[in-house]
Amino acid sequence: MHCGMAQDTTVPKLNFKFWLDKAIEWGQATTLESQKDVCLHLPQLQEFLHQTYETLKHMNSIAAIQQFPLIGQLLGRLCWNPFVVGYDESQKTLMWCLCCLYSSEPQNPVELKANSWIRSLLCHLLSSSKWERIEAETSTFISALGYTSADYYCHLVENIVSSLVTELRENQFNELNIQERISVSRVNAVSLFCLPLITLPDLTPLLETLLLYHGGASKEILSSEFLEAVNDAVLKKKISLSESAIFSLWHRHLPSLESATLSLLDQLTSLQINSLEKVACVIKDSLLPQAASHPAIFRIVNEIFKNALLETDGAPEVMTIIQVFIQLFIQVQQNENKQHKFPLKAYFPHHHQPLVIALLRRPFELPSTHWLQHLKHISDTLKSIVEDTNVSSFADLYEIWFLVACFGEWLDIAAEQLMKAAVAPDALLWLLAFYYCPQNENQQRTQTMVESQAVYSRLMMLYNRTVLSFGDLQASVNNAADTEQCHTQCLITHLLTNFLLFSSGGHMIAQEFISHITETTDMSKEVCSLLIRTAYRIKHNGGENQRTVKLLNELLQKLAVEV
Amino acid sequence: MFSSANRMTNLRPCWLGLVLVPGARRVLRSNRRRQGCQRGVMEAVLGQVAELPALLAVSRSALVRDWDPPTLDRALEWARYFQHLHDRFRSRPQLRDALRRRLRRGEAGSPLSFRHLGGCSELLGLALLENRALPPAACRRLLQRLLQGEAGFELGRLAPLARRKAASYLLEGSALFPGKPGPRVCAEAGLLLCRLREDGREAGAALGWLGPVLEQLPQPRAFAVVAEALLRQGCGGGDGDSSAGGQAGGAEAGSVAGALLSWLLEDLHRFSACSLLLPGTLLASLAGRYAQLSRRYLDLLAEWGSHLLYDPLQGRWVKSRSEEAKLCWEELRERFGCLCQGSVQLREQTQAALKLLKARDGDFQVCGLSVWTDLLLEVEEDLRKKQSPNV
Repeated sequence: MHCGMAQDTTVPKLNFKFWLDKAIEWGQATTLESQKDVCLHLPQLQEFLHQTYETLKHMNSIAAIQQFPLIGQLLGRLCWNPFVVGYDESQKTLMWCLCCLYSSEPQNPVELKANSWIRSLLCHLLSSSKWERIEAETSTFISALGYTSADYYCHLVENIVSSLVTELRENQFNELNIQERISVSRVNAVSLFCLPLITLPDLTPLLETLLLYHGGASKEILSSEFLEAVNDAVLKKKISLSESAIFSLWHRHLPSLESATLSLLDQLTSLQINSLEKVACVIKDSLLPQAASHPAIFRIVNEIFKNALLETDGAPEVMTIIQVFIQLFIQVQQNENKQHKFPLKAYFPHHHQPLVIALLRRPFELPSTHWLQHLKHISDTLKSIVEDTNVSSFADLYEIWFLVACFGEWLDIAAEQLMKAAVAPDALLWLLAFYYCPQNENQQRTQTMVESQAVYSRLMMLYNRTVLSFGDLQASVNNAADTEQCHTQCLITHLLTNFLLFSSGGHMIAQEFISHITETTDMSKEVCSLLIRTAYRIKHNGGENQRTVKLLNELLQKLAVEV
Repeated sequence: MFSSANRMTNLRPCWLGLVLVPGARRVLRSNRRRQGCQRGVMEAVLGQVAELPALLAVSRSALVRDWDPPTLDRALEWARYFQHLHDRFRSRPQLRDALRRRLRRGEAGSPLSFRHLGGCSELLGLALLENRALPPAACRRLLQRLLQGEAGFELGRLAPLARRKAASYLLEGSALFPGKPGPRVCAEAGLLLCRLREDGREAGAALGWLGPVLEQLPQPRAFAVVAEALLRQGCGGGDGDSSAGGQAGGAEAGSVAGALLSWLLEDLHRFSACSLLLPGTLLASLAGRYAQLSRRYLDLLAEWGSHLLYDPLQGRWVKSRSEEAKLCWEELRERFGCLCQGSVQLREQTQAALKLLKARDGDFQVCGLSVWTDLLLEVEEDLRKKQSPNV
């Protein structure tokens, strides 16, 4: 009955009863339980207040009180709850609601009383409250100086924050002096009190100090609600903290790290990816590659990526994102101060270290003439691991496959070298075959190898022809189109695309052939991903001839239009 | 606030007259005219600025009961105009000083300053909000303008104000602030310093308003605030020279410290009360920074010490019955102890003072004859212990 249903049914129900009950329960938020509960409800409450204001501003004060009889009690209680007043924009909305209820022409004592009460509340919120004795002493002094409560509270909060920061920092380095130790429960309480104030810029030094605070206890000292709220504000770019504070947050609070990683993935998969520059930019902004310098963080992010890839059935967009992330991660590692480096095993604990080392070499670190050799080395190492009988379970195989897949740059280069090198060892093709078809219980990989070998040989025969027709190429790969194996199709498409990009004759029919591929098969995403990756790689490593670059740009433009 | 309005028994409502005259605002636009007129313009501006005290006083008085919304609007417009003057003249020292002098010409000891011009909108708005005599219609208009950002009136700092107030409530209880002045004292000291610094090098000017302003606080609080302000100022804040470890002359640390010291030291009763109320450690810190203060403080301690008598039955020094005896032996000893824990200069000065007093008393070496002998012995014992703690 007191739900305050507006006449207009499009206005959402305003549940005053619920919030009033809550407000009474919370009192002035003096117990830990009530404090936690308030913090939990702050965002919803703000939304509710906002909706209330939107409704009130079209009504006059008398109508408002008639329609929402509980509103007075509710606003009154909320104004005395510092968590509510301190949160985000709630204080603004509270004040606006109060303004709406103020009557400019009170007709009776009740309205007069209501007016008086509203002014008291506003005074309480904004300046000296007659009920607070401490305030009365200083308010005359402050205004005699020519300042207002706005100036006063600015200075006051600044002083409180710097005092707390000093105390926390001193305590951190003062572990021997047990008497002065700040108790764990107090730090926990402080973190909870900070929750509504996270977006107040004055608090940033305190937030950072708390995030970097380690009291020596093995359990987490800071309140998890606080950590979650800080993470949320960081992800939504509502506040900006130092990198070390953010890394500390993710390091100490697993849900925050997960949330940040998933948020990054969401952000990227919703982007229209036609260039990896944008992807790299977004990933760098997220600070996750930098944070991943901590092995613990890296391992968790890696797990999340692995799961994401499984859930999307190996979607090429997701794979590309992961590959870019790993590239950026390596870049950060190399730029960082060598002193703080963790051993490789910390990041890749379950893997064959020589393989990891081989994969971590960035292509540009080696002269291009050495690439064949290096790829053969990777392939041979991998082959010996995989054909070892210990690797039997799917999980183990997936682990190894994922490791290799993360370093997709080398795979792409392998495919390229297959085209460009005069004589390419079988090992390269094997590597690609493994990537596209890791399992071999039923000889799937072997089959893939055989079929793609056949196509490859035919492509090599056509490679040096300067003039090539659509039909010629079509004829060569006709068998490939018939294959039902998805893996084989993928691999062959990869080879074909590279052929079109790098061979002399392929250029002229490239547009046409790629259109044909995208129309007749469902390889369009793979082709798109491959072109984008290749463009990115060429841009950063250079060394490619103009003809290829030009063709690549044209192809990408056309694809961007079609998508 | 109401008391200050009541004091002004013959309130000239002449600013109201200005307000009601439609052409008042046109004066502003005559800036374009040449030399002779500019002086005239300036005088007109000065005349308007002189109305600021009355405006603020009226806003706190019962006179507002006759205000209707248009009057309120005009009052707020005047406040905005004053604020505009402040912003324009802030970086033009001559004009600023002229305005300042005009404001001060009002009531004796009137503390209104250039600062008041700058904060006028807020000062006025909040004062009116608290003034219960303001009728509903005008109040409604005030609320709209204050809080809803109509017609260029900034919501600006009021939302953060409420937020910060809540923040201080949430966090103040959490911190222990061991052995330090609370954050409120620090905030008040900070604002006092800001105001003094705004006044710049006009040391004499500060004396006019500092006393009445500090009287708004209860004495213990006032002393704490001034002490904190002096500490901050002596730490290299503000006007240039940061005295490294030594005792800076008040004048060098700028007229800011000078003004505060003058207030503290000019009246003997006041300084005496201050020295009794503030802890020995704090006074020692101040003495370390300000030579004038250390001298006066030592003199004061000498005065108090001279009222101690030796009680041979109890074997210790006790306060004489005289009213002048303010400190007991333990307290006196603690004070001297704090002074000796300060900088080298301060310690030497203290020891020298004690030696001199001891000599005047007859230079006794034995305990129980001169309070200064005994004090010196104890102080030197402490220092020895500190240097070789193994003993």
